[in-house]
Amino acid sequence: MKQLIIVLYFVFLFLLTVFSYAFVDPNLFYLKILYSGFSFSHRLLATSFYTLFVIVFFIFYGIFTWWAIKKKINIKKIFILLIISCGILLFSYPAMLSYDIFNYIATSKVLFFYKENPYIIMPVEFIGDPLSLYTHAANKIALYGPFWVLLTGVPHFLGFGNFVLTLLSFKLLIIFFYLATLFVFWKISRNVMATSLFAFNPLVIVETLISGHNDIIMMFFAILSFFLLLKKKIFFAILSLILSIFIKYATILLTPVFLYALWKTIRAKEINWRNIFYFSSLLMFAGFLLSPIREEIYPWYSIWFLSFAFLLINNKFLVTISIVFSFSLLLRYIPYMLTGTYAGLTPVLKEIISFSPPILYCIYYVFKKKI
Amino acid sequence: MKKLVHLFILVFLFVLFSKPVFAESSYVLPYPSSMPGGLAYKFHLIYNAISKYWYFGDFGQFDYNLKMADKYLVEAKTLFEYKQYLLADRALKKSDSYFIKIRDSLIKAKNKNRNVVDKMLVLKEASEKHIEVLKKMDLDLPDTFIWTPEKSAPTTLNLQKIFGNSILLREKNL
Repeated sequence: MKQLIIVLYFVFLFLLTVFSYAFVDPNLFYLKILYSGFSFSHRLLATSFYTLFVIVFFIFYGIFTWWAIKKKINIKKIFILLIISCGILLFSYPAMLSYDIFNYIATSKVLFFYKENPYIIMPVEFIGDPLSLYTHAANKIALYGPFWVLLTGVPHFLGFGNFVLTLLSFKLLIIFFYLATLFVFWKISRNVMATSLFAFNPLVIVETLISGHNDIIMMFFAILSFFLLLKKKIFFAILSLILSIFIKYATILLTPVFLYALWKTIRAKEINWRNIFYFSSLLMFAGFLLSPIREEIYPWYSIWFLSFAFLLINNKFLVTISIVFSFSLLLRYIPYMLTGTYAGLTPVLKEIISFSPPILYCIYYVFKKKI
Repeated sequence: MKKLVHLFILVFLFVLFSKPVFAESSYVLPYPSSMPGGLAYKFHLIYNAISKYWYFGDFGQFDYNLKMADKYLVEAKTLFEYKQYLLADRALKKSDSYFIKIRDSLIKAKNKNRNVVDKMLVLKEASEKHIEVLKKMDLDLPDTFIWTPEKSAPTTLNLQKIFGNSILLREKNL
C-alpha cells in the first residue's frame, strides 16, 4: 500500500509536470514546439485541473504527514522521496504561475553577457534581444540583492548561452538550495514530522521546484545563520544572515531576533530556541503581510514564515494555520487563471480566497478553546 | 471683404504679440544640485567620482556621462544667473567634457552589435535641450566679461566663444 502511494505520488508529479506546459507563453519561441495555448483558450478547464492538482497535492501531503506522525517513514526515505521528486519537477515549466525565473535570467544576462550593471540598465534597453518578448519585468532594473545577482552567474555560465540549458541550470540551483535548506532544517529540528511538514508542503514544492523562486535561497541562509549561532560559530552566523539579506532583503526583519540570540550566545546564556523561531516566524509573517506596500502578497512569500513555523511542531495553532495558509495561497492563482485579467473582481477575489480560510480557522480555534 | 478684414486683424494681432521662441525639446534637465563653495558640493564631487565605477558597461557609461553633462550644464546655468562667471565657465567646461564621452560609449556599444537607435534618439533630444539652454544664456549674457577677483589678476572671459564652442560640440549629435 505504502509503495503504491509513493508510485502514485510520482505519477502525480509527472502529470503536474506535463500540465505545467499548458501554460507555455506564446512569446517563448524556444519552447514553440510545446506551445498549445491550452491555458489561454480553455481557462475553465485549466483552472479546474489546477484546483484538482492542488487538492490532490494536499491529500498526499496529509498522507506523508500521517506517516511521519506514525513513524512509518524515516528521514533517509524522506530525502530519497524528495530527490526523486526534484528529478521529476526539474523538467516542469517554471512560468506556470509566475514569470520570475525569466526575470532572474534577464538580470544575469545583463550582468554576465552584456557586462552592464543590472541596477542601472534594464533588459528592455537591449533592443532586439528576445528576452523582452517573454520577460514580464524587462522594464525594471534588478529587483533583488547583489548576492543573488552574483549567484545567478553560476546557472548563466552553466547554460552556455542556450536558453533551455540556462533555464534548467536555474532550476538546478534552486533545487540544490531546497535540499540544502531541508538538510539544515533537519539538523536544527531533528524531527521527522517537522522536516516532512516543510519538505512536502505543496506550496513550498510548487513555488520552489516548479516556479523556481529564489526565496528558498534567502531562507536557506537565514536558517543556516541560526544553526551556526546554535553551534556558536558567530562569525559565519553573521555572514550567513548578511548573505540572506543580500538575496532578497526581506530577512532584514530577522535582525532584532538574531541580535538578541547573538547577545545571549556571546554572554554564554541559555537561549530558548523555540522563542527565537517563534518570533522569527512572526516577524517574517509581518513582512509577508506588509508586502502589498511594495507590490502585492505573492504566495511564495509565505515560504518566509513557513520556514520557521514548521520548526515549532508543538505549536499546533501555528502549524495548522501555516498549512491552511499554504492551501489558500495556492488557490490565490485561480481568479487570474480563470479570467485572464488582473483588473475587475480579480484583486478582491484573490484576497478573499487567500485570507478567508485562515480567518475561518482562527474563528474555529477561538470557539474550540472557549468550549 | 469681411473675411479679409478678419484675416488681416488676425495676422496683425499675431505679428504684434508674437515673440521669437527657440525650438523646445521635450527632454527634461535635472534640478540644480549643490553649488560650489559648500561642503555638500565636495561630497557630491566624491560621490560622482565613485559612481563612475558603478555605471560600468557601455550603456552604463552612456547614462553616467549624460547625467553628468546635464548636471553640470544646470550648474553652469545657475551660476551664470548668479553672475558667478568663473565658476560657471568651469562647470560648463565640465559639462562639455562629459558630453564628448557620451557618443563614444554608444559607438563602442554599436561595435558590439548592440542596437543603439533609442539611445541615439535620447542623445539627439539631450543635445537639442542643451543647445536651447545655451542659446538662451548666450542671449542674456554679455559677449565678454572681465572677472576681477580681490587678490589676483583679472580674467577675461569670452562668453560668446565659450557658448559657441559648447553649442558646436552638441550640434554634432543633431
